[in-house]
Amino acid sequence: MAFVTVARDGVPVTQARDVALDATLGKNFTLKTDVVVVGSGAAGALVAYEMAKAGRDVLVLEAGRYYPSAQFTEHLGDTMTKIYQDQVGQVNTTADVIFVGGACVGGSTVIGGCVMQQPSDAVFDGWAKRHELPQLSAENIKPYFDKVGEQLHVHTNEAHEINACAHKVIQGCEKMKFSWKPAQRNVKQCALTGHCLAGCPSDRKMSSLVTHLPWAAAYGARVFSDTEVVRVLTRNGRANGVEARITDPDSGAHVADMRVDADIVVLAAGAIQTPLIMQRSQLKDTSGQIGRNMTVQPFTQVLGKFPEPLYGFRGALVGVYVDEFTETDGYMILSGLAEPESLLAQGDMRAGKAHLEFMKDYKYYAGVNAFSVDSGRGYVQWDGDPYNGDKTIHWNPNHEEFENIKRSAALAARIFFSGGAEKVFLPTFQSLEADSVFNLDAQLDKVDYGLKGMYTFRANSFSPHGTCRMGADPYQYVVGPNGETHGTAGLFVADASLIPEPLVAPPQWTVQALAQYVSDRINQRADSLFLS
Amino acid sequence: MKNNKHPALPGFMAGLEPLSRRGFLRATALTGAAFTAGCAHLMGRRDAPQAIQYRSLQPDEAEVLTRLTEVLLPTQSMGLPSSTQVVPTVQNIDAMAARMPDQTRDLLGLGIWVFDRRPMVSFKFSRFTSLSDDKALAYVNAMQDGPFFERGLMTTLKALVTLNYWRDERTWPGLEYSGPVSELWGIRRLGNAPLPRA
Repeated sequence: MAFVTVARDGVPVTQARDVALDATLGKNFTLKTDVVVVGSGAAGALVAYEMAKAGRDVLVLEAGRYYPSAQFTEHLGDTMTKIYQDQVGQVNTTADVIFVGGACVGGSTVIGGCVMQQPSDAVFDGWAKRHELPQLSAENIKPYFDKVGEQLHVHTNEAHEINACAHKVIQGCEKMKFSWKPAQRNVKQCALTGHCLAGCPSDRKMSSLVTHLPWAAAYGARVFSDTEVVRVLTRNGRANGVEARITDPDSGAHVADMRVDADIVVLAAGAIQTPLIMQRSQLKDTSGQIGRNMTVQPFTQVLGKFPEPLYGFRGALVGVYVDEFTETDGYMILSGLAEPESLLAQGDMRAGKAHLEFMKDYKYYAGVNAFSVDSGRGYVQWDGDPYNGDKTIHWNPNHEEFENIKRSAALAARIFFSGGAEKVFLPTFQSLEADSVFNLDAQLDKVDYGLKGMYTFRANSFSPHGTCRMGADPYQYVVGPNGETHGTAGLFVADASLIPEPLVAPPQWTVQALAQYVSDRINQRADSLFLS
Repeated sequence: MKNNKHPALPGFMAGLEPLSRRGFLRATALTGAAFTAGCAHLMGRRDAPQAIQYRSLQPDEAEVLTRLTEVLLPTQSMGLPSSTQVVPTVQNIDAMAARMPDQTRDLLGLGIWVFDRRPMVSFKFSRFTSLSDDKALAYVNAMQDGPFFERGLMTTLKALVTLNYWRDERTWPGLEYSGPVSELWGIRRLGNAPLPRA
């Protein structure tokens, strides 16, 4: 038996500059493999590892750049420029909701807040019933959660991981008799720097960059960065590879075009990119649902100012989670205050002396992210030809969703006032703050729904899902119960696109459990899927 | 592959998007701006600071952004590093603009132009750059409290300026924010996680 050795540091990645320097490849080349995995984030890295471990030849294609953790600077502004999707500029068509995501080897796991949460059993039993997915009932999916949880050191925050910001949330909750819990995170020996959103330079965050990707590479998987898949190739209704373009991430220069011939294709590029690739590929879609049913999980950032200095930006970024309203109203409230640059995305940052005073009070602030449920009405669309077309993300809150965003922000504000805040800054484009709980509602009433709810609340989305939903009926669902698309044999989806209905939980753990499940299904059918 | 015909703006610039994606807004903005530009011309204007060479910003754009920086970040009164003399806020914006795709860069220029010339009766249709300190601040606040289009544009420009000030490490001591700490604290790198047990 051969020994498998994981590199001590980093991932062997072929980058655009390597391709440019390799004269043997030229401007147009073809590679052959058993499995081509599109995307290297939470799902793609896990699938790559499982496939490579099972002895398959695996090629991972990542559109973003390779930014090794040894080069992380703990400087959020620089990190946003380098490895956030569109430099934090991926927005809806009206440009007032930002879809934040990682665009790098390791995907959003590199820049996420490490929150891992397992939805309740009722969620999966509901999937089993409503979407004919008995394989994913609570009992059946539990082993997948357990496996991922063990691999990624998911643990419940201990006392030292609850910082001053989180303690204010706890105090507020206890006064209001709201239920709260320490958050669960995928971190090993957290160094409590508070710089999660800029990547973890000491490799304590168990991102794909330091787990599944180097493990996959240890089993022989190859990883290409700067390589955007244009479309899936098919022959006789069966996926047999992809076409991709390699671009220099600094200059934007086109380096080469790549074709990959593969026995199977696994799409794991996330809930926005995966359906866009499918649309560009003009694949058979009996459901008509590719790119639709997108749940946004909008969240706003509410700031409370306290009389005493908290230095709430120190310590673990996410400490506690308010679960009082999760089952009843679909609200999730998580403590967290990031770098000063993050304040500029909170609400109105004021102007002149008022702005400077607002910023100089940074050490007095505690923050929460208030998530609310939406109904899965969003959609993504690719218009035009595969190379020169245009992506658009469609979602604006309807009246009900607008009220949900408002109520979740109001609850967060109330928690802060109960915890002793002397002022709460509201997450609105208008300049609004409340100096007591008694004028909170009056302030929030100034936020009028207006035209499509545009430029009202400064909402963001970190966890879109559901755009290639999974279910048994090929006329209603894009992907079948085994992870293979209904319309195209040999084409699998393994990311957040699969989630069949709005989820009220941070989805990373669920996504990785699903990726584990899809990997197992592929391996179980290896004899019929792989020519080799 | 070009994945977006309209290159995405950085999130903090999101408010400029309606300029590109909503034709009627563009028309409204341009018509209003043209009208006000004429008024502003009649009312006179300040000279642009010409001493600094910019890679991407045009002199009139630099003038508007410099004035906006002065208005948004009157740092001298608060014991913070100067937003114009110490921290190169506008040069930072210039560097960012130089990296933008052409269409994004064009939109930024349009946004700055519209902002400077937005017609407002209460400001006698003056250009932003010709307003006194108090009036200029009032103009910014009026834009922020205006209709959704004005709110979006103002939020964008504010974020562009303030981000390029606060990202400078010299501003952080004023916030009692320590910045990067791993090296300072001697935190050892763990490297890749070992393979899971079979």
